[in-house]
Amino acid sequence: MRIVPCCILLLAFVSASAQTVLPIDPQEARLLSLENAWNQAVRAKDMKAIDSLMDQDLIDIDYDGSVMTKAQYMASVSAPTISFEHVANDSMQVKIYGQSAIVVGVYRETGMKNSKPFLHRERFVDTWIQRKGAWMCVASQSTLILH
Amino acid sequence: MRGKVLAVVLACLFALSAAAQSASDRDADSKIRALETVWDRAEEKGDIGALNLIFDRSMIYIDEDGSLLTKAQFLNRARNESGSYVQWLSSSIVSVKIYGDTAVVVGNYTVKGVHGGKPHQWSGRFIDTWTLRAGIWLCVVAQSTPVLR
Repeated sequence: MRIVPCCILLLAFVSASAQTVLPIDPQEARLLSLENAWNQAVRAKDMKAIDSLMDQDLIDIDYDGSVMTKAQYMASVSAPTISFEHVANDSMQVKIYGQSAIVVGVYRETGMKNSKPFLHRERFVDTWIQRKGAWMCVASQSTLILH
Repeated sequence: MRGKVLAVVLACLFALSAAAQSASDRDADSKIRALETVWDRAEEKGDIGALNLIFDRSMIYIDEDGSLLTKAQFLNRARNESGSYVQWLSSSIVSVKIYGDTAVVVGNYTVKGVHGGKPHQWSGRFIDTWTLRAGIWLCVVAQSTPVLR
């Protein structure tokens, strides 16, 4: 007889836990998955995937202040002198403003550049625009986290 | 004959629509540029009222050292309550791109001021994103990156 109340309590607990973890808007979830897809594409140097995420007009300001167009950004990722070992985001926040959205987060990357290891920890802002139902990144900027 | 007339009418409507969109984008472009200038002068003067008006409530600012500031934290700094403030600020806009109710501004800046209680001068690049709300452009996110090379 005690099993029923215990089950109800367990279900209530699971439900409350799920509500705590999962109250995410589908568009927010979509944008977070695109950010993760971007990281995977960089690590794998999957230029086709990167191309599909970025608007033709993309402007990128890299952690060193250099400004790149989409073509320049893609060339920087595909360069044979660089390889990516670990690429990941954390602390991401998504804000949606109608047909546009911003994603703010912390980006960590490790790898080798010109035969030297590198490790960057950067704060980034990506601006996305929804076009014909698809989110495209139009601007991306990174700043090294010094503290 | 009717088909040709319809095609001409549609072409005219499309052209008018495109012209109206273009005029709207030009209008937005000039407003955004003016707001960027307002921002520069307000930051120099520590004009918190002006900054408060042009920032969205949820505005996020990423500083040159990668720290994340809320609108309140940014305004507190502009009030010179943290030992860091701007004395002179010069910025140049590289591009303004309008995507409907969103504008993305890319530019360069040089700042002379006090950072952590010490005189400091630095240069960097920024992207500011603005959104149109009830006919008013508000900055929702801004980021600065020092030029390292």
